[in-house]
Amino acid sequence: MRNTSKIKWMGLVMIVLLLATSVLSSCKTEKVLKIGFITEQTGVDAYIGPASVPALQDEVDRINAAGGIAGYKLQLIVYDTRSEVTDAVAVARRLIDQDKVVAIIGPSWSAAGIPLADIADAGKVPMIATTASNVNVTVSESGVLHPYMFRVCFIDPYQGYAQADFAYNKLGLRKAALLTDVSSPYTVGLHQFFEKHFLELGGEIVAKEGYNQGDTEFRAQLAKIKDSGADLLVVDAYTYKDVGLVAQQAEALGLKIQMMAGDGVFVPDLLEMAGPQLEGAIVTTGVSEDSPQFADFNAAFEAKHGIKANIYTYYGLDALMAIEYAIGEAAKKGEPTPTAIRDALETMTDVQLFTSVVTMEPDTHNPHNKPLLIMSIKNSQWELVETFTPK
Amino acid sequence: MELFLQQLVSGVSIGAIYSLLAVGYALVYSVYNFTNWAFDAFMAFGAFAAFTAILWLFLPFWLAMLISIVLTIVLSVGVEKLAYSTLRRRKAPRLFMMISAMGVNLAIVNIINKIFGGTFRKFPIESVQPVFLGGVSIGRMDLIAGVISFGVLALLWLFLYRTKWGLGIRASAIDILTASLMGINNDAVAVIIFTITGVLSSVAGVFYGIKYAVYPMMGIVTIKAMIASIVGGLGSLPAAILGSMLLGVLETLVSGYISSSYRDLFSFLFLIVILLFFPNGLMGKSGEEKL
Repeated sequence: MRNTSKIKWMGLVMIVLLLATSVLSSCKTEKVLKIGFITEQTGVDAYIGPASVPALQDEVDRINAAGGIAGYKLQLIVYDTRSEVTDAVAVARRLIDQDKVVAIIGPSWSAAGIPLADIADAGKVPMIATTASNVNVTVSESGVLHPYMFRVCFIDPYQGYAQADFAYNKLGLRKAALLTDVSSPYTVGLHQFFEKHFLELGGEIVAKEGYNQGDTEFRAQLAKIKDSGADLLVVDAYTYKDVGLVAQQAEALGLKIQMMAGDGVFVPDLLEMAGPQLEGAIVTTGVSEDSPQFADFNAAFEAKHGIKANIYTYYGLDALMAIEYAIGEAAKKGEPTPTAIRDALETMTDVQLFTSVVTMEPDTHNPHNKPLLIMSIKNSQWELVETFTPK
Repeated sequence: MELFLQQLVSGVSIGAIYSLLAVGYALVYSVYNFTNWAFDAFMAFGAFAAFTAILWLFLPFWLAMLISIVLTIVLSVGVEKLAYSTLRRRKAPRLFMMISAMGVNLAIVNIINKIFGGTFRKFPIESVQPVFLGGVSIGRMDLIAGVISFGVLALLWLFLYRTKWGLGIRASAIDILTASLMGINNDAVAVIIFTITGVLSSVAGVFYGIKYAVYPMMGIVTIKAMIASIVGGLGSLPAAILGSMLLGVLETLVSGYISSSYRDLFSFLFLIVILLFFPNGLMGKSGEEKL
């Protein structure tokens, strides 16, 4: 008796649910395009993502309030990677297979970007990596272009080249030591290109030390670097924590050396962590939070959301605006399908995005000639030294 | 020679931190035969408690440290009462306690992440110039951390071997059921063990935070301490310290003289070799007398 009433109840609940879903789906008359965002909200790189989510949502709300793009409303679907490649792969599959997004923003790091490129190709959904700068994110090791993978940042060779050039020609340094995160394609790639150009110029690499992601102890490596007589220490770490700890431990060892790092560590948190120890250090980056062009945005953003925007926020917005542009272009020719959006991204020419005007290189899917800033740390503040444009 | 000494000093200072954590693992393992995976969350909690007390309440360091120890004890004993003792009472298999510990760990770390964010913060304490002995630099904080770490461990040793309560704990470590038949209060033993765990993780967390940085995932280092306590001989306090020192020094020497990129590979290969020859760890005993 009890069982039959249980079954009746369950039947009733199911009927109500069925009715509810059919009513809800019949309400859905407006056309919605889903855009996925793969981001680091937790895990070791949890400092990257939190500001990006409200920034991208604001932009989506702005577009929707203005009537959408060619009648299409946008919906942002955000998934956390926990800073793990395995989770990044899982959420990318979920965005493509279950959520049926038309485009994906992210990931922010090359170790995830490389496997995700294959997933984007297989699912035929365009993906725009934000700050993944390893060459092989968009072009495979065998030199084949990933048709669905794009990026909005410059690539490692370019940054490594600029660093070597600046160190040799402007700073007059000749003996470099490299401290490489051997588990990060970003760091490994950057250092390869730094080394190549620094040797070409006539410099010398006197020490090559390594460490693994998550390490906090660098004194063994620094003691060896001190012993090598290097006058330049290049730590193109992916996480600012590494550079902060290296600077603190170098000071503790009495090692006074010119430090240099890449855009991976260009976040204000680095200055709070080890500003005094990094006095005079050089950091190369694509954009700067201190640049006057972002002052209004930064102030409004912090007032509204209570957190500071960082470069990852800007690159996230770059990717979203590129997708908006591509949806608009695709809609002109018909249905904005993922493939149509991909085609529009590939031929994007002189389009104003958040940080700069971007032209996509069709054969590499990298932005063409993005300028690079060479920054220095003075009194725990960033200071622009010069702007570097590739030849 | 100077380079070698410098590497040795670094190794010992890392080993001191591993020691505190390894002893915490060994203590819980020797009595309850399970690995307290929540330990790394306690460590991060301890560091954040002191960090908050200094930065938000403007308290001096020693007071912040004291508050951190008290709060971490409350957390540690609370977790024992809530998550572990309930399972023990219901005679759950040991494996389930470990899973429960992992759950507690993830929950605490994620709550810290939610409240403070994932950024790496400098511990709010004046950084002091290191002492130089010849060309070898020794961090003053490393010295203080080393002295306090070994002070805490010495006190723990005195407590375990020179007091009645210590005897009770050692008896429980051999056989908790028989010990309770002999009139040792199991619940009290649990409270004492998790109080000690709280103290150890708080002190380790604060000094790790000062030495490196304060961030929610900082407890990841406890995996090294866990390994150190196994190599030393799981369930024994001096063995945990020996294992920790060995691992700390081994890591820096491998970085310094073999390869810094493959530090973990070589260090852990070496540890596997040790385990091949000493399957119970270097000082491991096969059951009669633990701790």
